[in-house]
Amino acid sequence: MSTNPNEVVSFQNVSKVYNTGTIALSQFDLTITEGEFISFLGPSGCGKSTALRMVAGLSEATSGHVQVFGKTPKEIIQKTNDIAFVFQDANLLPWRTVLDNVLLPLELRGSTKKSHKEYAIEVLEMVGLKDYLYAYPRELSGGMKMRVSIARALAAKPKMLLMDEPFAALDEITRQTLQVDLLNIWQKEKTTILFVTHNVYEAVFLSSRIAVMSSRPGKLSSIINVNLPFPRKLQVRTDKTFTDYVDIAAHSLENSSIRRELG
Amino acid sequence: MSTQSVATKKTKIVSDFPQSNEGKIWTKFKGVYLGPIIALITFLSLWQLIPALLGIKPFILPKPTDVLHAAITDWHLLWPAIQITVIESIIGFLLSATIGIFVSILLASSKVLEISIYPYAIILQTIPVVAVAPIIVIWFGAGFNAIVTISFLIGFFPVISNTLMGLNSVDKNMGELFTLYNASKWKKMWKLRIPSAMPYIMAGLKVSCTLSIVGAIVGEYVAGIGGGKGGLGYAITVAAIQLKTPYLFACGIAAALLGIGFYLLVSLVAHLMLRSWHESAMKVEK
Ligand SMILES: Nc1ncnc2c1ncn2[C@@H]1O[C@H](COP(=O)(O)OP(=O)(O)O)[C@@H](O)[C@H]1O
Ligand SMILES: [Mg+2]
Repeated sequence: MSTNPNEVVSFQNVSKVYNTGTIALSQFDLTITEGEFISFLGPSGCGKSTALRMVAGLSEATSGHVQVFGKTPKEIIQKTNDIAFVFQDANLLPWRTVLDNVLLPLELRGSTKKSHKEYAIEVLEMVGLKDYLYAYPRELSGGMKMRVSIARALAAKPKMLLMDEPFAALDEITRQTLQVDLLNIWQKEKTTILFVTHNVYEAVFLSSRIAVMSSRPGKLSSIINVNLPFPRKLQVRTDKTFTDYVDIAAHSLENSSIRRELG
Repeated sequence: MSTQSVATKKTKIVSDFPQSNEGKIWTKFKGVYLGPIIALITFLSLWQLIPALLGIKPFILPKPTDVLHAAITDWHLLWPAIQITVIESIIGFLLSATIGIFVSILLASSKVLEISIYPYAIILQTIPVVAVAPIIVIWFGAGFNAIVTISFLIGFFPVISNTLMGLNSVDKNMGELFTLYNASKWKKMWKLRIPSAMPYIMAGLKVSCTLSIVGAIVGEYVAGIGGGKGGLGYAITVAAIQLKTPYLFACGIAAALLGIGFYLLVSLVAHLMLRSWHESAMKVEK
C-alpha cells in the first residue's frame, strides 16, 4: 500500500492502448499528494485526458494500476462524492436553471435536503453568480457557464477536482479572471486539483507542480516544482521568477519533442 | 449638464427615426403577408372565372362560390362530419403519442431490446397501412374502433423513430457526467435522456398529428361507419357517389383546414414546452 499517508492518487507503471492501436500512455508513474494543484502539461494527443479520465474511472488502464484514495477509481465513483470532473465544455443541462444545474450531483446522489440547496447557493456566490441563480444556461456567457460548471463540481464537496482544459475555449481576459478565482477557491476549499492544459503560462501560474508530458507514446517527461508563493496575483506574470519557470516548462516541452524527433 | 444634453440628443434621434409604429406594422405586413394574400385572391378569382368562361359544369369543377354555397346549405351535414373526424384523429393521435413514446423508452432502456426489435419497427413502418386496413376492419369491426386503429398506426411510427433517435442523441460528456455521479439507468433516462429527446419527440408529434387526420379519413374510406354517423372521409365517399362535387370540395377543404389547425396546435404546444431551453424553439436574438 501507499507509503505516504497524504497520497491521494498514484499511477503505477500505467499504460493505455486503445483498441485502435494508439498507445495513449506508456509506463506512466506519478504520485499526487493531498492539497496539490498539479497540472498535466503537454502537446495535444499526449494522453493528458486519458490520464485524467483514468483517475475518474472513465477509462481503464491496459496495464499497471491507478489508485485513488487507496481504492480503485470505480469504487470511489460508486461509493463516494470524493471526486468531481470539469470538462472543457461547461456541459450544462439547457432545460435547468443555474441553481438546478448545480444541484444535479446532489440530486443524482439521492440527497435533496434543504441544507444542500443553501450550500449550492453559497458555492454559486463563491464563483460570483449569486445574481444568476434562476437564469438559464443560454442566457450566460462562455465564462459564466464555466463558472456554473465549476460550482456544480464543488457542490458535492469533493476532495479532489479533475479539470480537463476547462479554460481552453475562453478568451484570454475571461481565462485570466477565472484562473485567479480558481486559485482562490482552491485555497479556500483545500481540495486537490488535477488540471490538464497545453498552455505553459496557465500551468505555471496555477500549479504547485507541473507534470510535463510528451507524445507518441504518451509519457511523463519531467516534473517541475513551481515555488512561487500563494496567493498569486495576475501581476506575478511579470516577475522574473515567473518567466524563469515559463522558460523551464517551455524547454522541457521542447526537449521532450526533440527527443522524440531524434528517436 | 452633459448627461442631459446626451439624453436630449438621444430622444431627438429617436423622434427623427423615419418609421412610426404603424409604419413598421405596414412594412411587416407588406413583407410577409401581402404576397400570399394577393396570390390567394388571384387563385380564387381564376378558379371562379375559368369554369364560368369555359362553361365547365359544377359537378366537374365547382366554382369557389359553389363550394361555399354547398358548405352553407349542407352545414348540418358537414359540421357533425368534421366533429367525428376530429374525435377519431385526436384519439388516434393521442394513442400514437403515448404508446409511441412509451415503447421507445422501453426499447431505449435496453440495448438488447432495441437491437432485436428496432429493425422490425422499421420494416413495419414501410408496410402501407392502407394495404392492411381491411385486416384491421376484420379484427376490430367496421366503424369507429377500426378507424381509430388505422389513424393510430399511421401516426405511430414517426413518433417511435423520432423518439428513439432523440433518446440516443445524448451528448457523450453529459452521459459521462451522470456516470460519474453514479446515476442509475432510470435516473439517467428520466433526468437526461428524455429531456434531451424532447425536441425530437416534438418533431415526431408534429408529423404524427397531420398523419392521424389522413389516417382517420383513410380509415373511413375503408372501414365505413359501422352503424354510427360518418366523418369527413365517409361524407367524401357519399358525395362522390352522388356527384355532389361542390360538397365534396367543401369536405376536402375542411379536412385540409383541420390538418393545418391540428399542426399549428401541436406546434404551439411544442414551442411552449421547449421555449425555456432548446435552441430550435428559440428566436435568434440580435
Ligand atoms: N476513445 C479513444 N479511442 C481511440 N483513441 C483514442 C481515444 N481517446 C483518445 N485516443 C487517442 O489517444 C491519444 C491520447 O489522447 P488524449 O488522452 O485525448 O490526449 P490529450 O488530452 O493530451 O490531447 C490520442 O492520439 C488520441 O487520438
Ligand atoms: Mg484532451
